[in-house]
Amino acid sequence: MKISRSTALAATAALGLSFGLTACGGGSDSAAGGGSDPVKMCVLVADATSSEALGFKDYYTTYIQENFPVEFVYSEEVGDADAEKRAMESFIANNCEAIISFASADRPTQIQMAEDAGIYYAVATGTLSDDQYEEFKDYQYYVGAIGPSLGVEYQAGYDMAKYFVEQGDTRFAIYGAGVPYYIDMHIYRTAGMLAALAEEPSTSYGGATDFGAILGKIMQDGTVKVADFQSDVYELTGYHEVWSFDDAAWQANLAAVVASKPDVILAAGTGFAVFGAAVADTGITIGDIDAYTDENGQAMKEGLVGYLAGKFTSSIGPIFAATYAAVEGHPIRAEGDTALALEQGYWVATSPEQFDAFLAGDTIENPFYGKAELEQFANGDQGYDTFEAFVAAYTYVAD
Amino acid sequence: MHDLTQRTRPGANGTSGPNGTAARRRSPRELVPALAPLLGLVVLTVAFVVVGTVSGVNMSYSVQTLINQSVVIVIIATGAIFIFAMGSFDISLGASTLVAAMVGGLAYNATESLVAMLVACILTAVATSLVSASLAAVFNLPVFVTTVAMLSVLGAVAVALVQTTGGAQIKVDSSFARQYDTLPVKLSVAVAFLALCVFLFTYTRLGRVEKLIGGNPVTARLTGVSMKKTAIAAFAIAGLGVGLGAFLTVLRTPTMTTSSAADIGMNVLVAMVFGGMPISGGPRTRIYAALLGGLSMAVLNQTMTTLLATSSAGNGISQVVRALFFLAVVWVATSGHRSKLLPR
Repeated sequence: MKISRSTALAATAALGLSFGLTACGGGSDSAAGGGSDPVKMCVLVADATSSEALGFKDYYTTYIQENFPVEFVYSEEVGDADAEKRAMESFIANNCEAIISFASADRPTQIQMAEDAGIYYAVATGTLSDDQYEEFKDYQYYVGAIGPSLGVEYQAGYDMAKYFVEQGDTRFAIYGAGVPYYIDMHIYRTAGMLAALAEEPSTSYGGATDFGAILGKIMQDGTVKVADFQSDVYELTGYHEVWSFDDAAWQANLAAVVASKPDVILAAGTGFAVFGAAVADTGITIGDIDAYTDENGQAMKEGLVGYLAGKFTSSIGPIFAATYAAVEGHPIRAEGDTALALEQGYWVATSPEQFDAFLAGDTIENPFYGKAELEQFANGDQGYDTFEAFVAAYTYVAD
Repeated sequence: MHDLTQRTRPGANGTSGPNGTAARRRSPRELVPALAPLLGLVVLTVAFVVVGTVSGVNMSYSVQTLINQSVVIVIIATGAIFIFAMGSFDISLGASTLVAAMVGGLAYNATESLVAMLVACILTAVATSLVSASLAAVFNLPVFVTTVAMLSVLGAVAVALVQTTGGAQIKVDSSFARQYDTLPVKLSVAVAFLALCVFLFTYTRLGRVEKLIGGNPVTARLTGVSMKKTAIAAFAIAGLGVGLGAFLTVLRTPTMTTSSAADIGMNVLVAMVFGGMPISGGPRTRIYAALLGGLSMAVLNQTMTTLLATSSAGNGISQVVRALFFLAVVWVATSGHRSKLLPR
């Protein structure tokens, strides 16, 4: 069949105009819903595909949306500061009443844009640096941040390495994940691992033995150099990073790391996703900082993952409650009418039984942070002190 | 050297000849493809207004957003048309923008001078662009090949520049950037550069020679056109566009990482093609293609975001619709090209 130009042009015009008709239809559906309009909360995401990210989204769009009068609007996956800004602009233009951010390329700009637009803004699964917090803590529309601080990230890496050292392991490989992309949490976790090993007197990394100096060296190099690891007791058998699955050289290095036969691969993130298939039947164990997902649970049952420090899906419940409360006119503010800055840690499982207990206790149908727990804060019935204790109650504290 | 100045044939292009002969009028079959990009933009704008009004979008903010999101692409793409008009292809525009923006950011941090930042952005971009052109000229390689090589080199340079800070980012004082990240600044830069490009492309020998090279390089060479000089001029102008785009990028996004500006290269190509630019260059090249295409992309993106954001599959559907609309407009715009050897 031959398609004429005029037919194609007409089809183009029809496609464009159909946007309008669809919008009219959408408007009618919303109106038919009845009741008060839901609060429109927009969610900025830098990761839209990992099992952890999908779990978070499921919790908000399934559980929270069913139990609170709220409508979540998700951004596309934003990879850099400009993409974040474009998504923020779209959110503001589309009358979002609050923004919850999982993207961290340029948080100061996000906070400033939300403040200028008069839209409440909150940081999920992370915290601001001390300097940034000082700059923005008095902003009226900055709700705050709840999540692992960089100190918690360092501690997570340190604790994981320490655990395996105490198990008697001496041969380690490290997977730095996003270290070359300067992803702060991965750098801090990796520095924490090396700092734990460097507590042994003969061990150092690049001549450094304390956390700050090790962190500085990784920041300077943008990677971890195996040759810079010195020890009479431990051996750093290999190092791998990023997620270039289609790159032959990357695959070769992954194979080389496995072939170096470490006792443990210490992963700064996504360890099982990267090394899971490669370490099957090798006796190598993975220590990972990731999330409580079915995949990681199965890996732990199969003995591939021996240690998991992970976020739980409903850990983003409290920041929702605080944001919702702010939109509803009763914001939860810290001492001195400042924004929230509350730390959340990781839950650590070293056995399938522990893992299953955590996983079973936090499902989409019955999350740790459920309607009853969140409602008291979302409705403004409780103040800051109770909220702080509430958030801290589920915080992992290193032994 | 032959004079390549095109003199309008009496009666051509719908004008009356000096002897009063009847003007040749374009038939609808010629007009429709020629106007398809503009019609596409009009249709998209109507859809944007309808969708925005029905959805209660903040239209004032939305229009500002459209300009914010399209101005850098329009500037870079307009400059790049000088390269593409010759049938050449530069794949390193995004990487050039990133490196120029980073150098500009470092220059500002060292001097706290807006002018120093602007100059650093432009010089870096023009130098980068000229390296590509010079390599192609010296080694007699297709420009596309040298820009592929430059893409890798510039990626490594960006990493090295970030590492000079000892951290993950090159940051410019955001309060300073906000001060100049305004519509008047952006529009002034864009209008000035577009006016320069329109003048050079439409009213000087350079534009005509480029179209001739893109249409038939052998003829151009036989006519006495210096391919190397023309290519260097084209890359210098494209570099100026990249430099100005980088300057506005720093003002808009003062926190730069190695992944910043990652999608600029692809967006520039899409904008040009969306605006009716034939990817093979030649006589059908229109300097306004980047403006039409850049605006169309921004309007389409904004409309789709408003329309589908609350749907669980919204982002996926949005991308498919964008692709379909893009194909439709380009298909109509290029349909006339397939039936004739040369435009009349």
